[in-house]
Amino acid sequence: MRIEAEIGRCEGHGMCAHVAPEVYALDDEGEVVLLHPDVPPELAAKAEAGARACPIAVLKVIR
Amino acid sequence: MAIPAARQKTVIVGGSIAAVTAADSLRLQGYDGSIVLVSEESVPPYSRVPLSKGILAGSQDPATAYLPALPADIELRLGARARSLDVAGRLVTLDGGERLPYDGLIIATGARARRLAAAGQTGELAVRTIGDAQAVAARLRAGARTAVVVGAGFLGMEVASSLVSQGVAVTVVDADPPLERLVGRWLAGLMVAAAREHGVRFSRARDGVRLVGDPVAGIYSTETGVVEADLVISAVGDLPNVEWLAGTGLARQAGLPIDGCCRVAPRITAAGDVTVRAIGSAAGRRTPHWTSAVEQGRAAANALTGTEPATPYVADPYFWTEQFGLNVKISGQLPSSTPPASIERGTDLSSLVAQWVTGGRPVAAVSVNHRMPIRKLKVLSGVLG
Repeated sequence: MRIEAEIGRCEGHGMCAHVAPEVYALDDEGEVVLLHPDVPPELAAKAEAGARACPIAVLKVIR
Repeated sequence: MAIPAARQKTVIVGGSIAAVTAADSLRLQGYDGSIVLVSEESVPPYSRVPLSKGILAGSQDPATAYLPALPADIELRLGARARSLDVAGRLVTLDGGERLPYDGLIIATGARARRLAAAGQTGELAVRTIGDAQAVAARLRAGARTAVVVGAGFLGMEVASSLVSQGVAVTVVDADPPLERLVGRWLAGLMVAAAREHGVRFSRARDGVRLVGDPVAGIYSTETGVVEADLVISAVGDLPNVEWLAGTGLARQAGLPIDGCCRVAPRITAAGDVTVRAIGSAAGRRTPHWTSAVEQGRAAANALTGTEPATPYVADPYFWTEQFGLNVKISGQLPSSTPPASIERGTDLSSLVAQWVTGGRPVAAVSVNHRMPIRKLKVLSGVLG
């Protein structure tokens, strides 16, 4: 499973990193950084929850 | 209210971010019973954030607001409206009569737009659902050139901003000075100045507004007289959806009271815009923001499964708005009339970071057109240490 972020559309609200800090971080500009190019199975549910917490829906879950 | 783990049924009534977060959180907490999400909307869970912006303006595909689909082990029932709740019998009854038994219930029925139209009066627009925003976009495509927006809160101002971006002449009417109650005089001044630069007209209507025409074709107030417009859009707050809880004794008109752990009653928790945080016996404050919905969704799930001790959710007073070329992020409680203690300006004329200090302690911070890690803003505001 992978997460895709639409780069440039991220507004830096940080909800993904708040819900799933193992999967998402923010850089110095407040832009989302994916910590795992391929999400390990044990973090999949967390990664999905973090993606769904994005208020502007820029994170896509690719199953 | 611990629920033993074996094949339990949890019903979540609602289909927005609070409901979705609650469902995700149940699974993350190891709950392996069934989860049914009951949503009265005909479209999958979506974010309301883009509704007042690109979707209303017609420049953004509504499907881009959909949240990533829920996993297959969470049942999503669309177009299903809860009609009543039987607390003793642990049953939710849907419109149409179907009954859903539950072991645990999470109430996240949200709120609906408050409306100003008289009974039977048609044509009033609002921006609460994806359908509402699409209705405005359709009217723009059909050639609407003028608009009155009633309500100068975040939503009303965002709507006004999107409309002027489409070449619509906009008048914003409110009983109070625009945005002041929400963000204090200093920040409101900055944002209203940007709106005026974009051509928005502001009118005061201290004793309220009446919609005129059927279909609605304008507004009337004693101060403004009749103001005609192609579009009349109400952005005058929302009403919690508690009517289906009639007879349970759980809800009040002001919302569904929850304690600090989002508990309502044994086996029942709640999250999101439907809730009001009970403070003692008084119905306390509503905090209808995205961050509250997420925090409450997690807490409501946690309090229900009881896999961790129920701990009070920590309110995160963070919200944001985008309007008239200003991207504004706010953390903390902005004082109503005090200017910021410090303002750091960026290279871009409009960009700044401001901090408010009361009694030697930071109480709020705001960034305008400035990108920074959100944690930094929350630290500046005193919300995070």
